[in-house]
Amino acid sequence: MNYLYLRTFSFWKILPTLTFVVFVSPLVIVLLSLTGDYSDNWTHLYNFVLGDYITNSIFLVLGVGLISLIIGTSSAWIITKYDFFGRRILEWALILPLAIPPYILAYTFTGLFDDYGSANEFIRWMFNLDSSFVFFPNVRNIFGAIIVFAFTLYPYIYLISRAAFLNQSKTLTDTGRILGLGGYRIFINLGLPMIRPAVIAGLMLVIMETLSDFGAVDHFAIQTFTTGIFRTWYGMYDLHTAMQLASLLLLFIIVFLVLERSSRMNAAYNSPVSNANSSSSEKLNGSKSFLCFIGCFIPIFIGFILPILELSRWAFTYNTGFFNESFFIQAKNTFLIALMASIVCTVIAFTINFSVRHTKVIFLKRINPFLSVGYGVPGLILAVGIVQMFTYLDKGIFVGFDFVLTGSLFGLLLAYLIKSYALSNSTIESGFERLSNKLDDSARVLKSSGWNLLLRVHFPLMKTSLLTSILLVMSEVVKELPATLILRPFNFDTLAVSTYIYAAEERMFEAASPAIAIVVIGLIPIIILTRMIKDSKDTPYLK
Amino acid sequence: MLRIKSLSHRYENENLVIDDLSLEVNKGEIISILGPSGCGKTSLLRIVAGLEKPLKGEIKIDKKIVFNQTINILPEKRNLGLVVEDKALFPHLSVYKNIIFGIRKNKQQKQLAEEFLNLFKIEHLKDKFPHEISSGEQQRTALARAIITNPDILLLDEPFSALDKELKNELHEETKKIFIEKNLTVLLVTHDESESSFFSNRVFKFKDQKLLEI
Repeated sequence: MNYLYLRTFSFWKILPTLTFVVFVSPLVIVLLSLTGDYSDNWTHLYNFVLGDYITNSIFLVLGVGLISLIIGTSSAWIITKYDFFGRRILEWALILPLAIPPYILAYTFTGLFDDYGSANEFIRWMFNLDSSFVFFPNVRNIFGAIIVFAFTLYPYIYLISRAAFLNQSKTLTDTGRILGLGGYRIFINLGLPMIRPAVIAGLMLVIMETLSDFGAVDHFAIQTFTTGIFRTWYGMYDLHTAMQLASLLLLFIIVFLVLERSSRMNAAYNSPVSNANSSSSEKLNGSKSFLCFIGCFIPIFIGFILPILELSRWAFTYNTGFFNESFFIQAKNTFLIALMASIVCTVIAFTINFSVRHTKVIFLKRINPFLSVGYGVPGLILAVGIVQMFTYLDKGIFVGFDFVLTGSLFGLLLAYLIKSYALSNSTIESGFERLSNKLDDSARVLKSSGWNLLLRVHFPLMKTSLLTSILLVMSEVVKELPATLILRPFNFDTLAVSTYIYAAEERMFEAASPAIAIVVIGLIPIIILTRMIKDSKDTPYLK
Repeated sequence: MLRIKSLSHRYENENLVIDDLSLEVNKGEIISILGPSGCGKTSLLRIVAGLEKPLKGEIKIDKKIVFNQTINILPEKRNLGLVVEDKALFPHLSVYKNIIFGIRKNKQQKQLAEEFLNLFKIEHLKDKFPHEISSGEQQRTALARAIITNPDILLLDEPFSALDKELKNELHEETKKIFIEKNLTVLLVTHDESESSFFSNRVFKFKDQKLLEI
């Protein structure tokens, strides 16, 4: 912070600084718990379950990373390099699984593949087998979880790899062919190594999402950090130990965040050629075309079509009050909180990006990326930090107001803001980048600055970016489970919470309506992304 | 009207682009500054406008200090007009709304706008948007928008360089007439010697980060 920054305070400087303090405080509070006392619960965790949390998390991350890497990069390569039957549809359909949160895929997987699940029932009916015959293996284990995560998260790698492959020179692959390499070896030896930084960036997103998840691992009863934090808090009623556990997970996440950031920067620098020399696709016919189609269709089938079919079956076959009163209350709660969070988040991101542009203060430019770190932080950790922060504030500042912050909607709203700021920021930042600075110069010389400039020039020109930001944040908020579960005020249920509660009680058919609503809302950013895919060769910044 | 004294400027980690430069411009004078790309002429204009903060020196506009070691008046408070090469018209506003952007809403606003629309022969375009009009018409709009605010100094940064020769000549004649009619003080930055000699009372050239009158 330089001297000039301190000397000339204004709203444009105070807002980003204040936002930075508010966004970072819950994380700092969580990390500071490591310096406090360690209770008997910690000793118990350390002696008996911490090892399981670590090994399970590592195994999960390795499995999910490997499978999503294979699916994401190979489908991106096939889509970019070959022209085959159905390619135009598969190109955008491959990102559809992003609309399904891992916990919903986990619920549908158990509905499909349990002993008396619809998939096993179908096989028994088809081959007229005995009712005790089980064809599909049990999915309620870590292998099932790996499949669930891999098939919902591979689109992160697909999107980033596809953008990188599009920018690869055709000359390079032609040279590989002249040197005797076949299609597969060109992919392994040339294509993949050249986009390594981009792939690592996508992989880090997949890993962070896997480590952040609570709903799917909880449903499959796998002991990981997130389930451990939840049980320590709600089972042992020990928030301090839960925070210490959360700190360990946060440290892991920080490492992956740093790797993701640096890989993303390298990905930009390593773009080997301009678009002018980019690849064109090779036409395939017959069995090769069919194989490519099947290869790209399977991830979509497992990650999107299958869960949608199962959810629809639950909803329509067992019609247990699809549109009952509680559904509408939950939908209203979800819509209102998501709308509120998305508008506040977009306004903050818009104002902060304007501040950075308008004041040209280097300190503001430097803190802006830090405001986005929340996207990688598990909702559970944010919830833990926010609860502790609000407890401090209620006990220290709002004494006599009977816990005005703790248990209120503020906490939930704050968690959504911290978690979704990156989405708003990336959308609005790129919107601002498209506006020439000369417009600002002209406006300022014409006596327009500050709010006047923001409202008369930037706001009308940024409407599309602002709307996109609102939609992206809304869809993210609708899906968010762990933070909502912990921070929601008493009797305030959302679609995600209700899906979780129904699934936890094994009332899967009743979980169908809120789950379908979540998926439908989750499709909004997918539609936006598919539009981007059609035109842009840049990687759409996802989260 | 404009007095620049011992002005120096450099961009971060770069050599000086302006070094101990001084200049005086009288009311109603049209001054041209010539020089190749990157010599510092646009920087000088941006510094006068307040869009760039110089290293040191003093700038006075209409006897009022707008910059020295302790004062730095913001661009919106300097009462200047600025027209740049790519016009920077607001794309979401019509020609009419672009023109009235910098003036206060009052009874005279409409009358003033009509006057400038007529003066620059763009009254028939007032409801059109910048992308719907030609390059020359965009430049007329940009000039009208800058002059309607009655600026103390009009800063022009290569305003005609994107136009073809015929259009440029036509606009030269008309704008010079308007500058004289309105008794405007103009600082014109250009790389076109014929343009500078056509418009200006005095012509300066950038040499060794300073201005040399020619």
